[in-house]
Amino acid sequence: MKLMRMIALAGSMAMAGTAAHAQFGSTLKAVKARGFLSCTGHNGSYPGMAEVDNKGNWKGFDIDMCRAVATAIFGTAKGHLKIQPTSWEQRWPALQSGALDMVIKATGWTMSRDTELGVQFSRPYMLAAISYATHADNGAKTVKDLNGGTLCVQSGTTLERYAADDQKARGYKLEVVPFDSTEAAKAAFLSGRCDAYVDWDLQLAVMRTTEVKDPKSIVILPDVLAAEPIAIAMRQGDDQWVDIANWVESILLEAEQAGITSANVDEMRAHPPTPAIATMLGVTPGVGKRLGLKDDWAYQVIKQLGNYSEIWNRNVGQDSPYELKRGVNALVKNGGILYPLIMD
Amino acid sequence: MSVTTLPHDPTRKQAHRKRRLSRPIDMAFSALGIGLAALVLWRIFNWAVLNAVWISPDGTSKVCRGISGACWAVIDVRWRLILFGLFPFEEQWRSSLACLVIVIVAILSCLPRFWRAPRLAGLWIAGFVAFYVLMAGGIFGLTSVAPEKWGGLTLTVFIYAAGMLIGMPTAIGLALLRRSTMPVIAKITGLFIDGIRSLPLITILFTAALIMPFVLPPWLLGDKIWRVVIGFSLFFAAYEAENIRSGIQALPAGQEEAAKALGLTYWQRTTRIVLPQAFRNALPPTINQFVISFKETSLIVIIGFFDVMASGKAAFGTGDWSFAWVEVYVFVALIYFVFVFSLSRYGAYLERRLRVGQH
Repeated sequence: MKLMRMIALAGSMAMAGTAAHAQFGSTLKAVKARGFLSCTGHNGSYPGMAEVDNKGNWKGFDIDMCRAVATAIFGTAKGHLKIQPTSWEQRWPALQSGALDMVIKATGWTMSRDTELGVQFSRPYMLAAISYATHADNGAKTVKDLNGGTLCVQSGTTLERYAADDQKARGYKLEVVPFDSTEAAKAAFLSGRCDAYVDWDLQLAVMRTTEVKDPKSIVILPDVLAAEPIAIAMRQGDDQWVDIANWVESILLEAEQAGITSANVDEMRAHPPTPAIATMLGVTPGVGKRLGLKDDWAYQVIKQLGNYSEIWNRNVGQDSPYELKRGVNALVKNGGILYPLIMD
Repeated sequence: MSVTTLPHDPTRKQAHRKRRLSRPIDMAFSALGIGLAALVLWRIFNWAVLNAVWISPDGTSKVCRGISGACWAVIDVRWRLILFGLFPFEEQWRSSLACLVIVIVAILSCLPRFWRAPRLAGLWIAGFVAFYVLMAGGIFGLTSVAPEKWGGLTLTVFIYAAGMLIGMPTAIGLALLRRSTMPVIAKITGLFIDGIRSLPLITILFTAALIMPFVLPPWLLGDKIWRVVIGFSLFFAAYEAENIRSGIQALPAGQEEAAKALGLTYWQRTTRIVLPQAFRNALPPTINQFVISFKETSLIVIIGFFDVMASGKAAFGTGDWSFAWVEVYVFVALIYFVFVFSLSRYGAYLERRLRVGQH
């Protein structure tokens, strides 16, 4: 798989050099002419982000983000969204060749992708919060309670470095038990060999739900060691397309902040409480034209998919099997770091 | 060739007994071996049958909490996903019919009465047209389904059948070209075959699916699935061409010379004298190549196809069912086994019928 990744990377780097940059507005024009948005799925599944239900339909956080963008453009995602099953290696060449319009696939915003691959990113729509999992019978509530304990980790990974940095910064000490693979480290932790295990909190939540008999026996500590931004990736050069991605994300957060849900959006539209919400929901005309969309695009997105917290709860949060807490992914007013842009 | 042993040879039975059970220590080891095998089998039986849960009344994994056996309920709930992938749920009868069409056409073309070029060609063209109409839709009132929604076993069977069907004639062509008396043609074909053989299949598929869009103009591109089928069949053809060439070269030179002396043309010699015998000689490695290729179809998952392996992964890749990956893999393995085992049994039948290895 390493080999494939290198071939894919080399291929897309070569292409990024030769392929003309996307023109301003060209992606939206092409998507509208084609009649559907081409977005990433998974070649299998990625629990919480992209899964397949019993009837072969896609679901998950990333899938809902794809739906939100398609809904913003076409008024509905039904019939206007193609989820292309995509492997990790395939993401970049498929984006460059135009087979994909957006990569929404638990993808981190890294410098090499941003600069060398000819890709540009939206604002992060989620942060992969690197956290510890521990056994509930430890009674640990914060990382400091783990002091003097053991940590199972794959050696040489960024996770190991995050843990070392955090120990220095917060002043506690864990004895590292190194393993040569994630699976081995995880298995050792689950068998009780270590007091703690470190990973992206979504992965920890999935592990807790799917790999232990009693999910309550594993606790994810609230302290965040580091956070990696997960963002939508697009072809370089089409700023309007990036605007659309950013503003779709933003209205999901704005709706949550203002208490607008799929259930009450009709009422909010009839009696907008603030001028900003009137603008957002298209009551005051003009919000669509700025992005090349219809005036009711934000209304349709919220009506059909709900706000950010509805999407979160449904796919990874309290209404999903994973029951992941919002943590750093909460709104700023709730102690997280996510915020909407200013609607004027 | 007369090394075959007689099936009912009384001395053979005695020899067996003598070798396995003559001394007490041999008896002990035999008993130990049988005991171990029985224990393992019993445990597997316990897991797979006695303690297993077969169905899920509510469609969730609740029935499997706290059981010690296999949770076959995952197959009960998710089998349509495994077999048909992302194909629209209400339309899945089309996918199952399409899969059946290809399998039936494949079985029919294994029957000797269909072994005439026009019959085979007609059969396969009809088969593929029926398959394509059923899967893609768009006519006869069938809703159209885009290829990225094709999946599961149907996709695996389609890619395999299409790959073999394009690959086999290509292989014959390559084998004949490589034996051409014109050095330029023989050399270029040799270079082509060796070039493809020195690349991993995965790189060829990757290039066909992802690099080609950068190189080819859009009107020449076609859908990803066709590019992948062509890449797959070229890979098969390069190996199979060498199998056939070995079959040709095993023929005594006198045969072709005699045919020439009778005044037969090149095509008469090739189709009536050389190829039929070459096929017979090359049958065991050819069956081998067919079997390997079936298993190699699982590589298409790397370029984002939802084949039976990928949809198997999707079947347990959800919070509700992720503990049941062994059951899903066993189920997928059974599917592969049925196909590959039938292929090799058919190969054995062909060898008997054509008396391969007996001159």
